[in-house]
Amino acid sequence: MHSDLNHPMRLNNYDRQLQEEIKLTCCADVELCMECGKCTGGCSNAHIFDYTPRKIIQLIKMGAQETLLNMDSLWICVACHLCVDRCPSGINIPRIMDYLREKAYHQGIPNRRDKVRLFHELMLDSIRKTGKVSEAQLIIRYNLATRQYFNNADLAPRMLIKGKLRPFPVKVKKIKEVRRMFTKTPVSKER
Amino acid sequence: MNGSKTALVIGGGIAGIEGAIKIAQAGYPVVIVEKQSRLGGVVAQLYGSFPRWEDPRVLLQHKIEQVEKSDRITVLTGMTVKTAVKEDGFFTVDLQATGGAGEKQVKAGAVVLATGFEMFDASVYGEYGYGIYPNVINSLEFEARLREWNSGRMEPAVPQSIAFIKCVGSRDRSKGLPYCSKICCMYTAKQAGIFKDMFPNAQAYVFYMDYRAAGKEYEEFTRSVIETKHVRYVRGRPSKVLPENGRLIIRAEDTLMGVPVEVETDMVVLAAAIVPSRGTAELARLFGISTDQYGFLESESFNPGKGGERVFFAGACGFAVETQGAQYQGAAAAAQAVALFNQT
Repeated sequence: MHSDLNHPMRLNNYDRQLQEEIKLTCCADVELCMECGKCTGGCSNAHIFDYTPRKIIQLIKMGAQETLLNMDSLWICVACHLCVDRCPSGINIPRIMDYLREKAYHQGIPNRRDKVRLFHELMLDSIRKTGKVSEAQLIIRYNLATRQYFNNADLAPRMLIKGKLRPFPVKVKKIKEVRRMFTKTPVSKER
Repeated sequence: MNGSKTALVIGGGIAGIEGAIKIAQAGYPVVIVEKQSRLGGVVAQLYGSFPRWEDPRVLLQHKIEQVEKSDRITVLTGMTVKTAVKEDGFFTVDLQATGGAGEKQVKAGAVVLATGFEMFDASVYGEYGYGIYPNVINSLEFEARLREWNSGRMEPAVPQSIAFIKCVGSRDRSKGLPYCSKICCMYTAKQAGIFKDMFPNAQAYVFYMDYRAAGKEYEEFTRSVIETKHVRYVRGRPSKVLPENGRLIIRAEDTLMGVPVEVETDMVVLAAAIVPSRGTAELARLFGISTDQYGFLESESFNPGKGGERVFFAGACGFAVETQGAQYQGAAAAAQAVALFNQT
């Protein structure tokens, strides 16, 4: 619970700016929300969220930016898009989550899920270097960095057999253009 | 003429007017009794309408013109029913002028009760301060404010922030009214929408438990008030209105978030419950029909709008109903009266 949710909150004093920002950048109008909770009901991770998708929309209405940028849910959301698929008002919650994640990242807000952040950075780094996500390399780097060397290692043989895991990284042909793309957006640091 | 094919309509609101017009159009004489000095009832007090944002005065003017043009309709304003006696299939009804002086007798073969509603007395809720703080008013009083503001009079001062509280009296067992008053959700949305249209920079909040918008275009109407007029709906039933620095603070729980919230306002509008108007129970007794535990008129089984032999009713004296519904019921009561006259 952050200072902007101090009890009792005065609704008059809330800042409408975040709501307007989200309307403009994410094309998502939170006023369309009918509070039905279908997003939360179908969310694959809601059981471990500190604020469920419906509550996140509600927090935006309240202008509770500090709570939103510090919440755990931001880093547990796997962007599976079930919420927006099922939302009767078509509110693009994953896009909102992306927006809030970027905002929290750029503001350097520390989160309790450092591994999630590490994983995101390693994944983007893999794309930066090869133009693709090379799963094997990504997992090895991630496991080394987190010192959990055999984490999920038992899945590797099955994934190999099913062709879900490429043992060696493959580079796209026009890697220069991918790199150029990265120079245009400051999404993550090179590792 | 013994009056066996004359209809008596008691109550000159929109339901009674509609009923009278239809009976007259079918060719039978009608007498409308209205206790106020003019026709119109509650609709005459309204500023706007839902779901089409129309002017109720235009509707009323149109209907009253029809009444005035008809040579079969007699309008007796400023009169109330004193006694009613039934013999040989028709009623002999004694009327009395509201002021006291003046009496009249009407013989009628059918009676349509259309006595309407009044607002539950919200001062029963000490926590809302109705009757204590001058800026805590009920919804009908707010309609009058809208008219004043629209006419350019900015007295009383226009609020910078306003809150509407729904279910004041309704859905409250402890106040003896467990029922839903049905129309408050819609007229509150209408009032908040009109307010935001008039004063786009002011804030408007609606405290609700759920909004009930069951009707053609009703849901779209309510959503448009939230989405395009930016009225903030807060789910929760306020618990207290407190004065602070000349403003009114509302304390409630945002039940969607599970956190207590406060709203600073300059005016609080209470959507008080709909209760039958005074005198409805007495009229029911006079004409030998029954009422429910809240005093609304009861229909016979399988005959909606029919209270008893030759007694019909329409509008909010039966139960809370919106303008359009009252018109439907007025026309339905007229159909029953006309069918009765045609049989004999």
